[in-house]
Amino acid sequence: MDSAIAQKTWELENNILAVEAPNPSSDFIFYYDEVAQAMSLKAKPWGNDPHFFKRVKISALALLKMVIHARSGGTIEVMGLMQGKTGGDAIIVMDAFALPVEGTETRVNAQADAYEYMVDYSQTNKQAGRLENVVGWYHSHPGYGCWLSGIDVSTQMLNQQFQEPFLAVVIDPTRTVSAGKVDIGAFRTYPEGYKPTDDPISEYQTIPLNKIEDFGVHCKQYYALNITYFKSSLDCHLLDLLWNKYWVNTLSSSPLLGNGDYVAGQLSDLGISFLCT
Amino acid sequence: MASSSSSGLTFKLHPLVIVNISDHYTRVKSQLSLPPSLTSTSSAATSNNNNNNSNGGENNQNPPPRVYGCVIGVQRGRTVEIFNSFELIYDPSTRSLDRSFLEKKQELYKKVFPHFYVLGWYSTGSDAQESDMHFHKALMDINESPLYVLLNPAINPAQKDLPVTIYESELHVIDGVPQLIFVRSSYTIETVEAERISVDHVAHLKPSGGSAATQLAAQLTGIHSAIKMLNSRIRVLHQYLVGMQKGDIPCESSLLRQVSSLLRRLPAIESEKFQDDFLMEYNDTLLITYLAMFTNCSSTMNELVDKFNTTYDRHSRRGGRTAFI
Repeated sequence: MDSAIAQKTWELENNILAVEAPNPSSDFIFYYDEVAQAMSLKAKPWGNDPHFFKRVKISALALLKMVIHARSGGTIEVMGLMQGKTGGDAIIVMDAFALPVEGTETRVNAQADAYEYMVDYSQTNKQAGRLENVVGWYHSHPGYGCWLSGIDVSTQMLNQQFQEPFLAVVIDPTRTVSAGKVDIGAFRTYPEGYKPTDDPISEYQTIPLNKIEDFGVHCKQYYALNITYFKSSLDCHLLDLLWNKYWVNTLSSSPLLGNGDYVAGQLSDLGISFLCT
Repeated sequence: MASSSSSGLTFKLHPLVIVNISDHYTRVKSQLSLPPSLTSTSSAATSNNNNNNSNGGENNQNPPPRVYGCVIGVQRGRTVEIFNSFELIYDPSTRSLDRSFLEKKQELYKKVFPHFYVLGWYSTGSDAQESDMHFHKALMDINESPLYVLLNPAINPAQKDLPVTIYESELHVIDGVPQLIFVRSSYTIETVEAERISVDHVAHLKPSGGSAATQLAAQLTGIHSAIKMLNSRIRVLHQYLVGMQKGDIPCESSLLRQVSSLLRRLPAIESEKFQDDFLMEYNDTLLITYLAMFTNCSSTMNELVDKFNTTYDRHSRRGGRTAFI
């Protein structure tokens, strides 16, 4: 078909490294090896090196659940936990679930309320066959970008002391919808007093004025991890077939109509920053 | 057993449910068959065979396992929208459903999604079976007419349609005995905007975190392929109609009626109100792009002026211009 040829040409021109097409034998990423995980938890190779984890692999299911949950919160920040395992220098996120707490930026201990929920959910999941442990938390920053605020940094530092290995993921559902690409970031904090030797340049993102101070004060205390996604062979197959049904939605979606107030907010922010300089 | 449904309910299925079921199935399947790297060298050959054969489900050692779970969503009037799903524990040999587990899970999901109700259940397999009726009846005390969503996990590359079917149960009189049988219903795929973007993202697995240019290109490719789809479908319709006109294909009045109603909807775009709104949005977007360009230009100018001042600074050096080294 023409579209297939066009896609191949585009991929070639842009040096897209083809992700190896998943086949049934490579689905073993879904296998949870309890013994190996227990061994790596004991060995704790991340204890000595604050920069140990460099990559994150997120499953298609986890991404879908997190983005939908983040979007369903509207302008309110929502949060949840992620389940998965470690694999070398990568944290692998297999699944995510929402927590029944609506966070505001001032709640440090939002997770204290949700511990019971978390324990119940993990127990039922283990019974139903999902054997992975909680390996991180995610929350949304609707409209103001993917970074860790002061509260987030202190929460994550606490998590990394007591619940290692732990990962923080931030999703911006408003920017996702308006840009048409998923706006997501994965972070780990440095321990107190550690100065990073190299300064990685992260992709620039516009942050509204009322948040820029919070961002600037803490932006050196954590680093971003590289995110890749994976899916099973059955997922691959189903998603291809799904495309036959939802191409209509692609055409009929209009980011302008859905995000009018977000754009207006950004413009007024821009106006104020013009006045300041 | 499966004829077409007559209940008049419209079903909307979200892609999250499909990915959920597929993930559940993949998980259970991979836990049962060890990956080749972990087995000892002697049994590596047999487990390799396991992995290769389970593709078609025709495996002597272990047939692909069936997984069971519950689907939840919202029912508004005649529309049933299925949003999410979760796993259930069911033992097919004893036909017992773990009730306490189901209740616990329901409670947990109610806390996070207070609007969702249990709409039915799901399973994997190629066809609805008689034994499924037991599970179905067990769920009837939670929802009087539950749905049964069946996913066929066999990967068939020639397949064009989603291997997902939704069944309802209806009371039919067979041989004088009223019996519940499964009847197939049609459904549409419904997405929230965020869902569509993330499904799109994962479906095409373009490298994430690429520069803005590749992201834009990816999005445009998506829209381009959607338009191509629309184009090809219209072409098929056109050819069909031309064939009907020539007399090659027998006239089908219901299809003709649908096509004419479709064509009659087109002039809705020509109305004045639409043009006004459209032009207003168009102007707004152009203005914002212009503004962005302005901001970019002014910041570049600013940088230029700073650089100019640094190179030709008269106060710090001994007067005049210095050679530009």
